[in-house]
Amino acid sequence: MFESIRLRILQGDPIVHDVHNPGLPPLFRGMPQIQPEKCPHGCTICVDLCPTNAISLNPLKIDLGTCVFCPVCEQNCPEQVIHFTNEHHITCSSREQLVVSGTEHRITPEIASEKIRSYFGKSLKLRQISSGGCNACELELNALSNVNFDMGRFGIEFVASPRHADGIVITGPMTATMAEATQMCFDAVPDPKIVILFGACGISGGIFKDSPELNREFLEQHPVDLFIPGCPPHPLTFITGLLDWLDKK
Amino acid sequence: MSFLSVQNHRPFHISDIPVISVSEFENSIRQSLQAGFRLISLFALNPEKSEKTVLVVLSNPLTSSISLTATQFSKDDHRFNSFASDFPQTNYFECELAEENLIIPNGHPWLRPVRKQSTVLGDQPYSLYQMEGEEVHEVAVGPIHAGVIEPGHFRFQCHGELVYHLEIVLGYQKRGIENLLLSANSRQQTILCESIAGDTTIGHSMAHVLGIEALAHTNVSLKTQVLRSIAEELERVAMHLAGLGGIANDIGYAIGASSYGRLRTLVINGLALFCGSRFGKGFLVPGGLQFDPDEEAIEKLKSNLTTVLNDVSAINLVLFDSTSVLARLDHTGTVTREWASEIGMVGPAARASGIDLDTRSQFPYGAYRYFPIPLITLGTGDVFARTRIRALEIEDSIRFIFEQLDNLPAGTTQTKVHDLQPDSGVISVVEGWRGEIVHSLFTGSDGKLTRYKIKDPSFHNWYGLALALRNEAISDFPLCNKSFDLSYAGHDL
Repeated sequence: MFESIRLRILQGDPIVHDVHNPGLPPLFRGMPQIQPEKCPHGCTICVDLCPTNAISLNPLKIDLGTCVFCPVCEQNCPEQVIHFTNEHHITCSSREQLVVSGTEHRITPEIASEKIRSYFGKSLKLRQISSGGCNACELELNALSNVNFDMGRFGIEFVASPRHADGIVITGPMTATMAEATQMCFDAVPDPKIVILFGACGISGGIFKDSPELNREFLEQHPVDLFIPGCPPHPLTFITGLLDWLDKK
Repeated sequence: MSFLSVQNHRPFHISDIPVISVSEFENSIRQSLQAGFRLISLFALNPEKSEKTVLVVLSNPLTSSISLTATQFSKDDHRFNSFASDFPQTNYFECELAEENLIIPNGHPWLRPVRKQSTVLGDQPYSLYQMEGEEVHEVAVGPIHAGVIEPGHFRFQCHGELVYHLEIVLGYQKRGIENLLLSANSRQQTILCESIAGDTTIGHSMAHVLGIEALAHTNVSLKTQVLRSIAEELERVAMHLAGLGGIANDIGYAIGASSYGRLRTLVINGLALFCGSRFGKGFLVPGGLQFDPDEEAIEKLKSNLTTVLNDVSAINLVLFDSTSVLARLDHTGTVTREWASEIGMVGPAARASGIDLDTRSQFPYGAYRYFPIPLITLGTGDVFARTRIRALEIEDSIRFIFEQLDNLPAGTTQTKVHDLQPDSGVISVVEGWRGEIVHSLFTGSDGKLTRYKIKDPSFHNWYGLALALRNEAISDFPLCNKSFDLSYAGHDL
């Protein structure tokens, strides 16, 4: 017993208390700052180099839903037009909002409807579905339950059965072999229910978007409530995104 | 025997690979396997053609040699005599060859789908193995499991609590990476390789960049090599901590589970100090590293690792000293040395069964050529051994990282990569945290990649998990599964 107490003392206070200002490492890549006015005329270096074709020109924009934050564009830009800051507030509630330009500090999702907030504001249970996820997104979602991030303190948790869930979180580019299971799992979640896409693969297919092995029909039939960009997204992007969406402080 | 003998990460001309008759091919492989070689890859070099050239890659860890030979199948005869009855390690490779290229291993004892789930040999339906009898029952689990994990389907044949047979059905994660790699440019290739299995980002990208650099005759600086090895060991420490946390969780040892989880955060945050990603995404690129860690990052990492080393020994001391813990781990899910060697298991799981197998010391590459890392084996092959070996490897890896950080060579971390040598190939073997990763790269006359074959360690070890469950209680499945900690995405590609 004394050993267990000693281990508890060793744990100290590991929790991230302020999820909005956690002091992430300087190299962590979150919200990009883009200054298109600095682009040299006719320069297409970043567009040509981007591995997922996430960049478009006139003016320069990055689609965070496709971006894998590699960050080849920042490293090769002759004028430092693009700079990835370590700002982790990049969760959105619409696909269009993910296409960013300029030097906005952070993005926040639109606050969820009154109905959603009254249903899920105090307790939100989610069922995760991995559909071709490489296990990086899965590990980050798992990390949400560890003693550092402890998402349970906000009333948000992952559950085993879709029947106990209020929504699903999809990771991975959505493989054809998981299409049926994904649909069945979603059908088993009682109404009202939400859909969250976690990671570039889920949002757009990411680096796999041209793979013939995918089947993304599910997303054509069901509206998505939250988009969480990243490769993989930081656990705190998930927490802060949900807190902002549910309008919880 | 006609083989081309090659070294790890050394390019060779495709035309130097002997192409022998099918019967000679069978004999050569049989003799090599008899002599202690391991099968590490078997695939068609030209899967798109009707006359397929099949290449076999064998490795001998005792002599650090890799041998290649090939045969050509005619348009009408796509058959060879299976080795699987005598050498079970070839079983799954033959199934894969049959599934991908319709090359049929005659006399194969049990042709199963590898990634296609319900069909074999094109479109012939495959039914899962089923036992019949009084009180025999079947348990089906997945593809979606209870936790936040990847998908796979498990089918147990049970008598009461006892598992007679476990059949593992995979392929839910199939993204077609091997084909995508051929049409991708260099930057896309690196990112695809990082995403083969996100938990092995460094391992797979290491195999990839070493393969590309070999084909491009590009030498990277010692500093690059050392930093890459540090990243690889950080990944190993992080995932071993995750595994220990999972095992502690599965046996209801809560303080252990939360402590290991906390320490893993320190390690992956340390990796993020180096490259911004907690998984090392974007760190390794052909020709070097995309980031050169500064003094501050190195000091912070050292301080994180000091905490990890101190706390992990304290937790291990309690974990491996507790009778109630040991009662759950000892003699659970045993894979004997004989079985492990017969089915070609790799990585910590194989070492836990007493097999001397570690690419870092047997086929050393990068910084491991100058700074060797000890090869640890245990003998019992049960969950205890697979847990204990991961705890021991954590300590060795952290010691290695400290030594390297204290003597970090000066130099550049970026070297220009030349064009890939045309009509050539390279076998790139590295030791990921799960074990041996093999990437086989081949170029055409224009210097572009024409074939890219990937073998994740899980490809061997899933079968080890199935064997570990024989005559075990089904309630021990989660514990056995976690002790192997295998990749679905790495297997499915």
